[in-house]
Amino acid sequence: MPPLANTMQNPTLTVALVGNPNAGKSTLFNALSGLRQRVGNYPGVTVEMKKGRFTADGVEVDLIDLPGTYSLAARSPDEMVAVDLLLGRRAEEPKPAVVVSVVDATNLDRHLYLTSQLLDLGAPVVVAVNMIDAANAQGLTLDYARLAEKLGVPVVPVQANNGTGIDALTKAIRAAAEGGAAPRGVAFPPAFDEAANELRAALGSDLPPVLLRRLLIDVGGYVEQWQTEVHGPKLTDALAAARAKLAAAGHAVPGVEARARFAWVRGAVAVAVARPAVKPVTWTDRIDAVLTHRFWGTLVFLVVMFLMFQSIFLWAKPLMEEISGALDWCGKKVEGAMDGGPLRALLVDGVIKGVGGVQVFLPQIMILFGFVAVLEDCGYMARAAFLMDRVMSKCGLSGKSFIPMLSSVACAIPGVMATRVIENRRDRLATILVAPLMSCSARLPVYVLLIGAFVAKPGGSAWLPGLVLFGMYMIGFTVAPLVALVLKKTLLRGAPPVFVMELPAYRRPKASAVARRMIGAGWAFTLRAGTIILAAMVLVWALLYFPASHPDGGDTYPQRIEKAEDAAKEKEDRLKELKEKDEKSKEKPEDGAPPPPQLTEDEAKELEALEGVAGLPDMLNGEWKRQSALGRAGLAMEPVFRPLGWDWKIGVAAMASFPAREVIVGTFGLLYDVGEVDTKAFSDPKKADAEAKAKAAGLTKAVQDDWKKDPIRGKYGAPVALSIMVFFALCCQCAATLAVIKRETQSWAWPAFTFAYMTALAYVGALATFQIGKLIVG
Amino acid sequence: MLMPLDMLRAGEWAEVEEVHGLPAWVGRLAELGIRPGCRFQVVRPGSPCLLNVSGCKLCLRGEDGAQILVRPVPA
Repeated sequence: MPPLANTMQNPTLTVALVGNPNAGKSTLFNALSGLRQRVGNYPGVTVEMKKGRFTADGVEVDLIDLPGTYSLAARSPDEMVAVDLLLGRRAEEPKPAVVVSVVDATNLDRHLYLTSQLLDLGAPVVVAVNMIDAANAQGLTLDYARLAEKLGVPVVPVQANNGTGIDALTKAIRAAAEGGAAPRGVAFPPAFDEAANELRAALGSDLPPVLLRRLLIDVGGYVEQWQTEVHGPKLTDALAAARAKLAAAGHAVPGVEARARFAWVRGAVAVAVARPAVKPVTWTDRIDAVLTHRFWGTLVFLVVMFLMFQSIFLWAKPLMEEISGALDWCGKKVEGAMDGGPLRALLVDGVIKGVGGVQVFLPQIMILFGFVAVLEDCGYMARAAFLMDRVMSKCGLSGKSFIPMLSSVACAIPGVMATRVIENRRDRLATILVAPLMSCSARLPVYVLLIGAFVAKPGGSAWLPGLVLFGMYMIGFTVAPLVALVLKKTLLRGAPPVFVMELPAYRRPKASAVARRMIGAGWAFTLRAGTIILAAMVLVWALLYFPASHPDGGDTYPQRIEKAEDAAKEKEDRLKELKEKDEKSKEKPEDGAPPPPQLTEDEAKELEALEGVAGLPDMLNGEWKRQSALGRAGLAMEPVFRPLGWDWKIGVAAMASFPAREVIVGTFGLLYDVGEVDTKAFSDPKKADAEAKAKAAGLTKAVQDDWKKDPIRGKYGAPVALSIMVFFALCCQCAATLAVIKRETQSWAWPAFTFAYMTALAYVGALATFQIGKLIVG
Repeated sequence: MLMPLDMLRAGEWAEVEEVHGLPAWVGRLAELGIRPGCRFQVVRPGSPCLLNVSGCKLCLRGEDGAQILVRPVPA
């Protein structure tokens, strides 16, 4: 507790902003609090609330932006947070001194329903009538003084997107806080109040009156569930009796609330709002005639989606390359500036590569969120969800899951974050859990490496590689909806989701709001998920680094490698010279020309020795990784990998790719003694330099040669390669995705579940692929 | 004549008579303006269908719409 004198000097008011979705609440929040914003998280629930600060007449105001809701009838813990917050029942925030009810001027009939519920909270209420411009455009005339008189609370007209009326609103908030009088709520039939009082007496409960009302009205609602836990069967009986009595008196719940409140709303609107005789056809209606059309609307939707993904690829790629280029440069600088040893290796291979692994996703995330913000703010998102609902309902999801699922084809991380548009908790969880199954761009290098090495054979069908790649993508497209369906029937089963959605009027999105969403998404990812990803990267680095001591004692592996590299560098020129000579000696002389000079016996021996020196660093590196902690674990776990047709090297590479799938390519390079291989050589050969390409070709050949020696992989190369690909298509070897799931669900249980079920699925899939492939080949 | 909401065709007007189903669903619909006595127009029929309820567009699924009994009225 701060000292009292201090609080007296800086009095702060807590003000809550409440309104229907689409009431323009966020715009008003931004207009009031400007840049002084942050996000508040609440333990145990997935909702986050924005908090802002502003000064009203010299008084500091803490503004809480509650999630948009149609009523205070809480159906889940998430929705209850808002109610508890308004009643001052959460330890994190004081009870709001003033509640601002944001309503849409063009739709007062509907929005004042929530306002009438807010009047029951026992705190002063100020009604902000937003979007007065749109109301004027529709020919509506509003009499704010009469509305205030009828509602019994101050009413302020505002146009949040250009700041009209914001001053008047802050003054009204200040005045309401000082006046302090709680409004009179909407009167319910006397029989209802009687029943509520009897219920209170029967339970001996000290619930606030507003929650007692909710308990009585919301059949199966959150308050009922919670109170059943508190009071047990006593409550069930008392509640049933009270509801039966009300029904007998002609006031059955929940209808009694809608009747009482809407009657009150109708009375207020009738005197305060004048409508034009003929309802004009609005722009929204005209646009909707096209955009919700089954054929034209779908066509527009597909074009919008195509443009969105095309731009994500086009715009994100150069930015991602800039970022990884800058980090490479950083790594080289550190490498040059520091002496060798575990610390330098930790910084270069653990931290800098780890940071790179986190930050390369940033451009994709921010661009996707820019699109999502524009589509949502202009009102198009609801139309897209309407169009896609038919398809998505077949796998137990709703149309709102479409964009997150499709985004996951680029990368599951922005996809998981984009599930925020889904309000239904079960639908949102199901979408989050299956999004990582969609084939993301990080799987591409793995596919390209293995298809190039084992599927594309010289003289084979030119269609086969493309077909296999297509098949890998189809695995995601078919398995994800199936898993969603299974999840919705088992783990996330519940009352059939009520799918009813409002299609808001079209509006021009505000650039500042879009920028805010993009930056917010970028920050959230960098700060909260980034730290977890970095930790996972460093952990796997350490498992592959230690123990670094050589079994013969003396120098450690990294020291030996450095020495071997220096030795190889010294002899580099001589090796080149001898190689050139050797190559020339094999050329066929032109007619009449003298035969090319042959290598002498000594030179031939020297060449062989020098080639050994040049290959030594890569060989030492491979030996080191094989005896590292992770290498040994892989060796011990070989029996687990055997049914998949894998040896321990593949197993280690798969385990080492836990931070990110594409790491497998680099690990393969280390384990097959060809040194570090740049992933880019496989995913984007045009951009890779000649050296990287040579390394990539070397890796392909090394893997082929190694497998040839083995009786299983020699014979069944293609099934083994397919089994690895299927494993990577289905597994969740991506620390970033898991970290984002943790962030979005506010729990470690869901990322753990995702990892477990996807790994199990991947194992079974790989097993089936190898065993069936073996039968076909054999 | 009473009929389920999903039987209406595009452009038809109707008045809600009864809303059946789970209390939570009935309550949610009432909050959104679909309650006995209210008038609406069908913008797009089918599942999901699109309704215009006093100037505000709502979309709901066919199987849910079948729980709402309506009386067609002239425009």
